[in-house]
Amino acid sequence: MRWGESGVTLLADILTILLNGLQQGAIYVLLAVGLSIILGTLKFVNFAHGALYLLGAYLGLFITGQVPLNNGQLAEWGIQSYGIGLGFIAALIIVPIVVFVIGLLMERFVAQAFYDRPDTDQILVTFGLAIIVQELLRALLGGSSQPFPQPSWASGPIALPVVGNFPRWRLGVIAITAVLVLGVYGLVEYTDFGLIVQAGTLDGEMVRLLGIKLSRPYLVVFGIGAALAGVAGVVGGPLANVNPNIGTEQLVPAFLTVVIGGVGKIEGAVVAGLMLGTLQVLLIQTGYAAWSQVGIYALAAIILLVRPQGLLGSEVDVS
Amino acid sequence: MSDEPRDATATAAADADAEVTGGLADRWASFRDREISTVLLTVVGVAVFPFLFNNFLDGYTQLATLMLIYGIFAVGFDILLGYTGLLSFGHAVFFGGAAYAAGIFSASVSSSPLLVLLAGTAFAVLLAWIVGFLSLRRGGIYFAILTLTFGQMSFYLAASPLAFLTNGENGFTSVDIGHLLGVIDIHGGVPFPLTMLVDNMLYVFVAVMTVLSVAMANRILHSPYGTVFRAIRENERRAEFVGLDVWRYKLMAFIISAAFAGIAGSLFAIEGNYVPLESLYWTESGRIVIMTVLGGVGSLFGPLFGAGLYLYIENIVSGFPTLGPFWHLILGVVFVVAVVVFPDGIWGGIDYVRDKVAGGEDK
Repeated sequence: MRWGESGVTLLADILTILLNGLQQGAIYVLLAVGLSIILGTLKFVNFAHGALYLLGAYLGLFITGQVPLNNGQLAEWGIQSYGIGLGFIAALIIVPIVVFVIGLLMERFVAQAFYDRPDTDQILVTFGLAIIVQELLRALLGGSSQPFPQPSWASGPIALPVVGNFPRWRLGVIAITAVLVLGVYGLVEYTDFGLIVQAGTLDGEMVRLLGIKLSRPYLVVFGIGAALAGVAGVVGGPLANVNPNIGTEQLVPAFLTVVIGGVGKIEGAVVAGLMLGTLQVLLIQTGYAAWSQVGIYALAAIILLVRPQGLLGSEVDVS
Repeated sequence: MSDEPRDATATAAADADAEVTGGLADRWASFRDREISTVLLTVVGVAVFPFLFNNFLDGYTQLATLMLIYGIFAVGFDILLGYTGLLSFGHAVFFGGAAYAAGIFSASVSSSPLLVLLAGTAFAVLLAWIVGFLSLRRGGIYFAILTLTFGQMSFYLAASPLAFLTNGENGFTSVDIGHLLGVIDIHGGVPFPLTMLVDNMLYVFVAVMTVLSVAMANRILHSPYGTVFRAIRENERRAEFVGLDVWRYKLMAFIISAAFAGIAGSLFAIEGNYVPLESLYWTESGRIVIMTVLGGVGSLFGPLFGAGLYLYIENIVSGFPTLGPFWHLILGVVFVVAVVVFPDGIWGGIDYVRDKVAGGEDK
């Protein structure tokens, strides 16, 4: 990268890196917040979180427009395209609701049976579920990549002060993420529901002794976590193509974000996601693109070794 | 090893038991528990396997070879998951890492298959020492995530910064394997008496390694060392209270399992003359988890069976008319059912049924 002679160019470069990092990190944050609240409150390790992201992306495609089918079983059965063409805003509203319900079903029929079994069994069963979702989609819709069109009102560049032209959709991603994360944060920090969930996280037995049922708040927490992953699929879809592998690809960075930030900490997930995103963009834009992926894993490894409970995690959470 | 005399007494006692109680099932059980019989069963198994596989199951020898290679990998993985209770999601590092090390060693140092095998395995052990040392600082899910982290880091390292060594996304293609002990062409045919059982030398080489690996795993698991692994799985804190250095045993279990992964990875490079980059990706770690759990954790032959079953579905069932395109989906469903209903895998299920039939009390 050429560092400009004048301070303005330097500032513009730094701001561009920060904005791109913010956008890159936004998807990590959306996934990690859901993963983190499920892990923090329910003590449930969800390796199928990436699959929920994947479902969100495909549902988003389905609701937004018409997608032609070239291979896969549906095409062989004579179906040429799928989609109901309601547009992007509709997808942004419907997908989280659908994935929320999927989350509720998952909690009732999968997670509940595994709360008392070891962590490893939880990992195994959700890993298996993730494979089922991914391979079902691959078998039915084919493995090829589908472009996810950006909504027309948010495509193209926008002129920002200092930075110059910046893709409008990337700003959209940042804004949507900010709204959603703030919403969840408010829900957990400032409502009675959030109070019960937090109390349950600290000492579930005590909360039950006080006569408060925890099973419903827990169910809702799982649903919210799932819905966030679904939205992430819709929001992240237009940034890259959609194919059956994107779930497994996103799962690992999402988990890293959770453990770096500290399990159960929404603020932690935000800080960690932005750190990873910014580091990745910084490495790419300074000419070390080859190291951009290695960099985030190395950073994660270092943080976890120095501070095992995560940046904002408390000592108590350490199992 | 210091445990041999005691082992011998135990076997003798079991013999005496068998004589007293008589029954066929008991006699079989006492035979089964002896080390020599485990090894003999494995020898017979790998010897007749390609014949049965090729003639009755639509198989072919190359796939049989691959099954044994992954079988070795799974047997080692089970020492960690089934016996010590640690779930690693980064074992592809040791499999793929050993494959790369073996490949690079064969291209630039020596092409002798035995030395290549040794180099690959040594590399895996060294790597496991470092990764294990760092990952084992945390238990439970953190261990799974840390191993996953190191696994992905190595994948991306091999993908581009180290591409000058690994040939990046195209995979390492310059594997160069010479003759075994300077005379036997490892990719050639076999001499006469063996031709009745198998058609190429590579299978024989891999089969011998399989037998040695199973014997080694069996010896480790039946030694006091293996008992400590089980104690850690059952109750880590209690193991610590009796004065065992739990952390050290865990690290050793990790390194031992990586050594098996290293043997398998080196054989994989020798078998295919090629190392794909995907052999380091985390889904490869996931594959070995599925194989081991499907076959049966905590048993010696379960993982071998699981590896065979996985590859059978992947390569043979995928060619079936209607079922074919859904092979991966079928595998996922079978895996989830196994985790939910048979936590001890298919082999564990067979064991359970056999114990019921034999009418024996729980061991």
